[in-house]
Amino acid sequence: MSKDMKFLVVDDFSTMRRIIKNLLHDLGYANVAEADDGNTALPMLLQGDYDFLITDWNMPGMPGLDLLKAVRADAKLKGMPVLMLTAESKREQIVEAAQAGVNGYVIKPFTAVTLKEKLDKILESRK
Amino acid sequence: MSPMSDIDKLRNQYGGIVLSMSVALESGDEAVFCDALDKVVRLREKNLFVELRRLTDGLQGALERFTLDSRLVDLAEKEMPDARHRLDHVLKLTDEAAHKTMDLVEQSVPIANRTAKSAADLLVSWKQFRAREIAVEDFKKMLGHMDAFLEVTKGDTESLRQNLSEVLMTQGYQDITGQIIRGVMKLVAELETTLGELVHLASDGASKSEKTGPQRARGYGPAVPGVDHGPAVSGQQDVDSLLSGLGL
Repeated sequence: MSKDMKFLVVDDFSTMRRIIKNLLHDLGYANVAEADDGNTALPMLLQGDYDFLITDWNMPGMPGLDLLKAVRADAKLKGMPVLMLTAESKREQIVEAAQAGVNGYVIKPFTAVTLKEKLDKILESRK
Repeated sequence: MSPMSDIDKLRNQYGGIVLSMSVALESGDEAVFCDALDKVVRLREKNLFVELRRLTDGLQGALERFTLDSRLVDLAEKEMPDARHRLDHVLKLTDEAAHKTMDLVEQSVPIANRTAKSAADLLVSWKQFRAREIAVEDFKKMLGHMDAFLEVTKGDTESLRQNLSEVLMTQGYQDITGQIIRGVMKLVAELETTLGELVHLASDGASKSEKTGPQRARGYGPAVPGVDHGPAVSGQQDVDSLLSGLGL
């Protein structure tokens, strides 16, 4: 995995997408695309050659958990690293996301350091 | 057999009595007349009571349905006060974010000013040096200033970068508050529907409103202190330990 990695950031709030995009730029990842919910993201993932998915949970249309399940159920996408970045903080939800195959879970509000740590950890484990 | 018309029913019900009243009137039998008249009045009263009972039953049913519509009770007793707390929390978050942004700007402006002033001071000596008009002593001083300036500016620009990054992160409040406001909007819409149903309650009978609360798959939105109870994590550390417990 290199700094050329292609990210897809999925969040219904454009401000949050901008924040994540900026943080990824600061970390040296310049190739970042955006989607506002799972329904928009899934066709993008299927058509594009994305390396990493960062998704919110609570979104109109297809929520992040369903997107995660769809990714894991697709032959082409199932191995993609997925980081859930969400305000959903119920224990049962975190367990559910873990069972659905999430690679990392960051709760909002978050810090730049936390995001970097989780990204690094996921990328490290995939080397 | 053809159904009886209204006038036939009346004839059946009152015909005999009216006839006996008429006969009594002709014959001057006051007691029989009054007795027949009483019978007429009683018959009318009976119809009135049946109608009144029907109305009372309807009203009673409507009142029971009103009390039993737990969604409405829920909305009035729990969710509306909750919504107020949620909006209070939105106020608090927007207030904090605005202050934090302004604090960071206020911290950054003097740093930028200091850099600009030091650069301007150095520029005077630098121009003299470039024009070969600087004394040896002043040149030595300039080098000292230059060393200090580069050192300080290195730290200052890093502080500025950090402050700008913090300003960026602080804008995350819009996502959190937006989600809370959307939740309250959904509640208001539900209240509108339920109140609409209430208006039609007596005439149409209550149709139970479906609870349109958040489903688990869709998510609950951000936790609001004092409103959301239940097994939520308290922060990222909590999430990390929960996940490591699950082998992640």
